[in-house]
Amino acid sequence: MDVRVPRLAEGVESATVANILVAPGDRIEKDQVILELETEKAVGPIPSPASGQVAKIHVKPGDEVNVGQALITLAQEGAVIEKAPAPEKKSPPAGEQKIRPAASPQLQKVPAGEPSGADQYRYQSAAGAPPPASPSVRKIARELGIDLNRVKGSERGGRITIADLKNYVEQLQHGTAPASAPEPAAKPAAPAIDFSRWGPVQKKPLSSIRRTIGQRMYESWSTIPHVTQLEDVDITHVGNLRKEYGPSLAKKDKHLTLTPFVLKAVVAALKKYPIFNSSLDESTGEVVFKNYFHIGVAVDTEAGLIVPVLRDVDKKNLADLAQELNELVERTRKRKVSLDELQGGSFTISNQGGIGGGHFTPIINKPEVAVLGIGRSALKPVVKDGKIEARAVLPIALSYDHRVMDGADAVRFITQLIATLENFPERELKG
Amino acid sequence: MEPIKTEIVVVGGGPGGYAAAFYAADKGKKVILVERDKRLGGVCLQCGCIPSKALLHATELIRETEISNQRGIVFGQPKVNLEKLRGWKNSIVEKLAQGLAGLCEKRGVEFLQGRGHFEDSQSLRVETSKGQKFISYEKAIIAVGSRPALPPAFDLGNKRVMTSTEALELEEIPKNLLVVGGGYIGMELGTVYATLGSSVVVTEALPSILTGVDSDLARPVMRYAEKAFKEVRLNAKVAKMATSGKQIKVTLSANGKQKEENYDRVLVSVGRLPNCKDLGLENTKAVLDDKGFIQVNAQMQTADDAIYAIGDVVGGALLAHKASKEARVAVESILGEASGMENVVIPAVVFTDPEVAWCGLTETEAKQKGVQVQVARFPWAASGRAMTLDRPDGLTKLMIDPESERVLGVGIVGSRAGELISEGVLAVEMGATARDIAESVHPHPTLSETLMEAAEVFYGYPTHTFTQKKRTPLP
Repeated sequence: MDVRVPRLAEGVESATVANILVAPGDRIEKDQVILELETEKAVGPIPSPASGQVAKIHVKPGDEVNVGQALITLAQEGAVIEKAPAPEKKSPPAGEQKIRPAASPQLQKVPAGEPSGADQYRYQSAAGAPPPASPSVRKIARELGIDLNRVKGSERGGRITIADLKNYVEQLQHGTAPASAPEPAAKPAAPAIDFSRWGPVQKKPLSSIRRTIGQRMYESWSTIPHVTQLEDVDITHVGNLRKEYGPSLAKKDKHLTLTPFVLKAVVAALKKYPIFNSSLDESTGEVVFKNYFHIGVAVDTEAGLIVPVLRDVDKKNLADLAQELNELVERTRKRKVSLDELQGGSFTISNQGGIGGGHFTPIINKPEVAVLGIGRSALKPVVKDGKIEARAVLPIALSYDHRVMDGADAVRFITQLIATLENFPERELKG
Repeated sequence: MEPIKTEIVVVGGGPGGYAAAFYAADKGKKVILVERDKRLGGVCLQCGCIPSKALLHATELIRETEISNQRGIVFGQPKVNLEKLRGWKNSIVEKLAQGLAGLCEKRGVEFLQGRGHFEDSQSLRVETSKGQKFISYEKAIIAVGSRPALPPAFDLGNKRVMTSTEALELEEIPKNLLVVGGGYIGMELGTVYATLGSSVVVTEALPSILTGVDSDLARPVMRYAEKAFKEVRLNAKVAKMATSGKQIKVTLSANGKQKEENYDRVLVSVGRLPNCKDLGLENTKAVLDDKGFIQVNAQMQTADDAIYAIGDVVGGALLAHKASKEARVAVESILGEASGMENVVIPAVVFTDPEVAWCGLTETEAKQKGVQVQVARFPWAASGRAMTLDRPDGLTKLMIDPESERVLGVGIVGSRAGELISEGVLAVEMGATARDIAESVHPHPTLSETLMEAAEVFYGYPTHTFTQKKRTPLP
């Protein structure tokens, strides 16, 4: 039997093979992990659905695989399997050399195999002629690794234009028909620069997670008009609360960091200004208000930025939130977070304070409409009641989607947020 | 001895090799170009395309004066100063070779004269006049080309038996010349010698000259040859050659009969062979195909990862422009760019009188492959420009996919067909339909109109010829 890529998560059609944990000839048990797939923002183990002997491995680390694709073949009991043969190095025969796509952010990721949204069109020519397209279009298709036989041409004789190619790539990316609003034209691939002319260099391919981050950031940054509101918050009071309640909670393994306070204060502000807890449906032009408060928390991992989501922050008390947050961050750093835990956020917090940092301009985690960036607090002279006092001051930054809200909304939201933090209700810690 | 280190070494300085070296240098690579000749340019420049076209142009004037006499402008008998003609031809070659040397120097491509021999996958030994040099390279591009085939039975060690190389030297104008092989080289050089006064006999083993060329395109060339040559013998084989005093005794067999004839000179133009010998390929992982050409993939890479090969040495159409295109593909592949020799239209031109040119799908190929095409022909007798040039002996035709109306191939015979075919190449490369060509305004009066009118023939309303076939209403 073949072990195939299982359904991974809602909307996730492909993954990259991260590790293969078995070799041909190995005897494996049911539920034994055979390999790990890197999907979206996590690495997931793939258990074997049955016991048997590994007859053949169809993939290698780094391969992009699609749901349903065969990963390994398991032999029935008693079948004779050869031990893993030494890998044979062979130069690719004519026409089979893998084409490396050049960097082109808009048109970058083209999933191999059957696109979910694109139809099953194939160019047919009784003459056996290749699909009609100009040499320049063919070159771009080659760079992107696109089979032009699958692209419908709009010109006379079915000729494929650069616009047809772009539409096709968008279909692949979104799994839907092309959006009515035209997106900006794809940037041409930057010419390759040979840096070794100036000194020794090393090359390392972008990891799948890095590419995903890049794609998301580019998408968000290039489609959302960002405005970032910078403020300072006096968190002396929060600091005092942490000093007072922290030690007793720590005994219960609940580490009271600043983030749970911010989570609570953010939810209070979101409740008052629900537009910040919304999404813009670009296809219908509707704003979707969410009656739930799932807050994403940016986590710095070895592989790169990952944003797991804390569910129903409004329904949890501060101590439980602190514990859940710690666990979630821990699991995320170990890449053991499930795909479902990476989805469904309604607002994101990016706290750099643990490392340092002042004001910065965070990028909105699309399809959310706002993100809060937090720096490191420091003692600063503050004028309070006519006197200069040393207070703990926290730099915060709110980036928002100016299509959905205006500067006045942002100021109202952030003022509410500051007020909640500076007068954080002690009862939240007693519950 | 410390080897010279380079990123890319190109072996062979013809239109494939120098194109590869220049392009790689332009892309910032350190390149060494190894060429056994002291001059760059290869067969194309030294003893192929360029000298043959110089001679064809020079002799065209003689042919033109003969026709001119019938138009009322009468010329006397031309006097041929062979030394001067040869000198002019050589000066063109020299100038172009110097130009290449200059381009090489400006780009910082290091030119190394000598024979290259692969020691292993990463190093090349070069035999120069100053002894051996060793080059340690990252990637090599082989572009050593081909040479005229001279079957051992014809190789008498007698200079009166020539290949194209010697024929282009134009040592003398033989009274009688036998051309063995009616392919494009034999027909082109036969035309040169016939115009200069030789009595030319062409023998071809196959049933037609210019094998592979569509018969309607070859016909005007055959008509010219029948007039200008003493004889064109088809289905005829040369069995034997022997030196006979100052002549060559040739034993010919045709229709089961053998006969002996004496010729002052014989031109053997029966094909070309790749220069794969003595390259040291056995020290690399590169492999040859069953015809002795180096096997490559679409990226022009041989079975040895570090070695690429381009041009005549990899087979296919043995044409300079094919080699130059492959040079780009090889360099781009080495640079890690997405590139490949796939679905590239390589036009072919035969510089006979009249010229024949084609690109993409030919009618012959369509028939062989059972491909349904509609052929739209426009005869030049209906072209005003062809009439004013006194060259109505031409034909322009398009091979069109009847369903999509896409132009799959173009064939032209007629004066300047070689210049006209480029529009056909662009059309096929762009995936143009016959409508695209029909609706692009072509200047009047020019020969290029014949392409537009051929496209109009497809729809049934050419202006300058009448067809009762399909009439498609304008959309």
